[in-house]
Amino acid sequence: MHFASVIHLQGLLLMFLAASMLLPIPFSLYYGDADYSALPISAGITFVSGFLTYKFTRFKQDLWAKEGFAVVTLGWIILSAFGALPFMLSDAIPSFTDAYFETMSGFTTTGATILTDIEPLSHGILFWRSLTHWIGGMGIIVLSLAILPFLGVGGMQLFKAEVPGPVADKLTPRITETAKILWGVYVLISAAEAALLMLGGMDLFEALTHTFGTMATGGFSTRNASVGAYNSAYIDYVIIFFMIIAGSNFSLHYRFLRGDFSVYLRNIEFLYFVSIIALATVIIGVDTFFNQYQSLAKALQDTLFQVASIQTTTGFGTADYEQWAFSSQFVLLTLMFIGGCAGSTGGGMKVIRIHLLIKFVFSEITRLIHPHAVVPVRLRKITVPPDVVTNVLGFFILGILVYIVGVFAMAALGLDMATSFGATAATLWNIGPGLGSVGPTDNYAHIPFLGKWLLSLYMLMGRLELFTVIILFSPSYWRK
Amino acid sequence: MQILIIGAGDIGFQLAKRLSQEKHDITMIEADPQKVKRASEQLDALVLSGNGASYRMLQQANLDQMEIVAAMTDSDEANLMACRLAKKSGVQTTIARVRHPQFTQPDFVLSPEELGTDLILHPEKETADTIVHLIHKASATYAVEFEGGRIELLGMRITQQSPYLDIPLQYLGQEADNLHMRIVAINRDHQTLIPRGQDALAPGDQVFVICDHDYSSQVIALAGRKETHLKNVMILGGGLIGQFIASNLEHEAHVKIIENNITTAERLANILPHTLIIHGDGTDFDLLEHEGLLDMDAFVAVTGKDESNIITTLLAQHSNVSRSIALVNNAAYLSIAGKIGMDVVVSKQSLTVNAVQRFIHQQQVASIAGLPGIGAQVIEYIAGHGCEITCGELKDVRFPHNAIVGAVLREDDLIIPHGDTQIRPGDKVVVFALPQAVNELERLFQEERSRSRLSQFLHV
Repeated sequence: MHFASVIHLQGLLLMFLAASMLLPIPFSLYYGDADYSALPISAGITFVSGFLTYKFTRFKQDLWAKEGFAVVTLGWIILSAFGALPFMLSDAIPSFTDAYFETMSGFTTTGATILTDIEPLSHGILFWRSLTHWIGGMGIIVLSLAILPFLGVGGMQLFKAEVPGPVADKLTPRITETAKILWGVYVLISAAEAALLMLGGMDLFEALTHTFGTMATGGFSTRNASVGAYNSAYIDYVIIFFMIIAGSNFSLHYRFLRGDFSVYLRNIEFLYFVSIIALATVIIGVDTFFNQYQSLAKALQDTLFQVASIQTTTGFGTADYEQWAFSSQFVLLTLMFIGGCAGSTGGGMKVIRIHLLIKFVFSEITRLIHPHAVVPVRLRKITVPPDVVTNVLGFFILGILVYIVGVFAMAALGLDMATSFGATAATLWNIGPGLGSVGPTDNYAHIPFLGKWLLSLYMLMGRLELFTVIILFSPSYWRK
Repeated sequence: MQILIIGAGDIGFQLAKRLSQEKHDITMIEADPQKVKRASEQLDALVLSGNGASYRMLQQANLDQMEIVAAMTDSDEANLMACRLAKKSGVQTTIARVRHPQFTQPDFVLSPEELGTDLILHPEKETADTIVHLIHKASATYAVEFEGGRIELLGMRITQQSPYLDIPLQYLGQEADNLHMRIVAINRDHQTLIPRGQDALAPGDQVFVICDHDYSSQVIALAGRKETHLKNVMILGGGLIGQFIASNLEHEAHVKIIENNITTAERLANILPHTLIIHGDGTDFDLLEHEGLLDMDAFVAVTGKDESNIITTLLAQHSNVSRSIALVNNAAYLSIAGKIGMDVVVSKQSLTVNAVQRFIHQQQVASIAGLPGIGAQVIEYIAGHGCEITCGELKDVRFPHNAIVGAVLREDDLIIPHGDTQIRPGDKVVVFALPQAVNELERLFQEERSRSRLSQFLHV
């Protein structure tokens, strides 16, 4: 373990973070925020800390997988602490615990908030809040790989640790190029969404903040009533479309933009992803149509929006699903666990993992009937290597275990059953709004002190897909 | 450049590693899942799993965008097939590794164009040729040629008998009748140093010299070792390399091959009529002694096992065989070879990688050679127009201190440069460099380009 190298890279990441803190300043000045100084001061503190760390440590050698885990996990923990500075300095969120929770929720694209009233916050701070989503969505480490090519092979280790999915997709021979492509596609699609939202009547500030929330599958809005505040079918459908885009694999978008138009139809994960959204919309739509709206158009619009929002783990809201039937709420809870596609900005267990698990179960059944059969797990004719299948199994088991521990801890802290189930799922799988007292119209302000720190950790574990974080708690990781 | 390497075995892996360090984009195809795993974990390359001779697979690897395809698997047929497919798909340069000698024989029925390859590499033959070359240059521990043999890089071990001990190098030129040479590096106590004028040679030093080919025999005399006539040669290992060496030497010396596989031994006996084939275990020291190890002028260990090669060569050195050469393929062993007293090691991988690199670099860099064990490189640059190195006399250019200019080839004149020499555009410059200096050198020889502010800032 090369601790100096790990720390050295933290310095680099902090300098990146400092640079990104400058982005909200134009909005802060344009709207004449009273707390305009919070952002430049935070940027200054972050930059100096980063620069000193960078100068006084040395990068020793190529990174191996072991260091990769530490760099990424530590990076996210430290960046969230520094990212909380603007909230604290501007007095928008004076408590460190709350500010840290909010920032972690931003970077991990969870979108769970401790703010009870969002609208009075200054524009600069609101922009920073949404920007944390956008940076965390594609990943700050992937961004730094795109800009600084010096890591070489070590870059692959970091990339694997940050990019979601069982196997990290490499689009080009060089990891730097792959990172550039992913960020390029991300920026391009974000620009398209912002333009379309402005066509629907939003101003630049609102269009950008909501684009950040959508493309990162985050869910922070600048309005208390979230996207519902706009009360516009056009905006709802634009955001639905882009949530689905953000919840699917970005390498598909890249191939599509390169002219391979049938790429979506050939990708089994994407097909399942879309089918699950359609199926859930139909199931829940029956309930909402008869029991809530009595208007097909309105039922479709609201159901599809909430389903897409939960399944892609965005967490925007246009309707209070806690008014819906319990069966519908349970479907949404299930969707939280499934989540988006591998290689997307979405959270959850990822569609491909669930698909592989189901395939695995069926191959086990075949094996029981024909004890001598050779039954590999296949994806579209291609055999999935057994170590990938075991990894997926391990991930699933770990996910359930971590979930159970979380629900127990929340209940022990005095929360009711629905809240414990909902809050744990909504943070672990990076959705945001949960059930019970943390539902779509509520917030996390009332969660006890310890609970906020635990949920912050859960958001991190969800974003980095469990193993990257949990590995640091294993004794054998620290053994020489 | 976009480079596709087929086969991630020892040679393919080392090649990818070197080329990837040079900022080329590497894609690899390999069938063995273990090797795929190793390559994708240790290289910044896109590694695909599949059969490199299959057209479908090559297409998946974006064959049409490749500038170079290098087929480095163990199978001649697969390599040549991959090259043909690549050529047919419009790939500029194809390189095939082959094992069978027929492909490079002058009377072979298919020309390289018909085979679809621009370069046919024969690692086993190349290795054998290098070993024969080293056997002939009795005192050299390393020899490589540049510019079609005009310039030679020689490595040698200085003995007690050397006539030039303890003379500061700046006077050595006068003592040695203005030899056309430049000592570019001294490997002393396992440290590589770039000598300055006041340094002197000491016994036990391994020195690397760049010199005019015509003077190479005088340069070798620096080492102070007597040239011995080559009468008896013993080769351990009757594989392809051993066979090539024997067929090369069997007309000028008595050659013995020791081979432990009876079938191979019998086959060799048929092919090599003037060579004595002994069936036996090469690591059996009694057998070696019985077969006259002590009387040998040269001993070559080229079995497939690095460990046996190293041990037997050490034994031969101990028995005062003046030329003992070991084939060592494991890159990790190369770096300790010098420390355990083995002067002459030859590596099939690094020879092949060098050959490919030399071929690829034909444009910017005329030639390149890695020195095994000391991690340094000898690079031949062509000075571009307006590049920094041409801006003043060498002593005024900010030249990296862990590199040295060995020779300058201006049109047809070979110049051994001094501080007041000025490089002109178009000159071919042979530079010896430690790895840390390579980036700086590239900047010196590159036509002026703006460096990014960010990278300047980060290097403060």
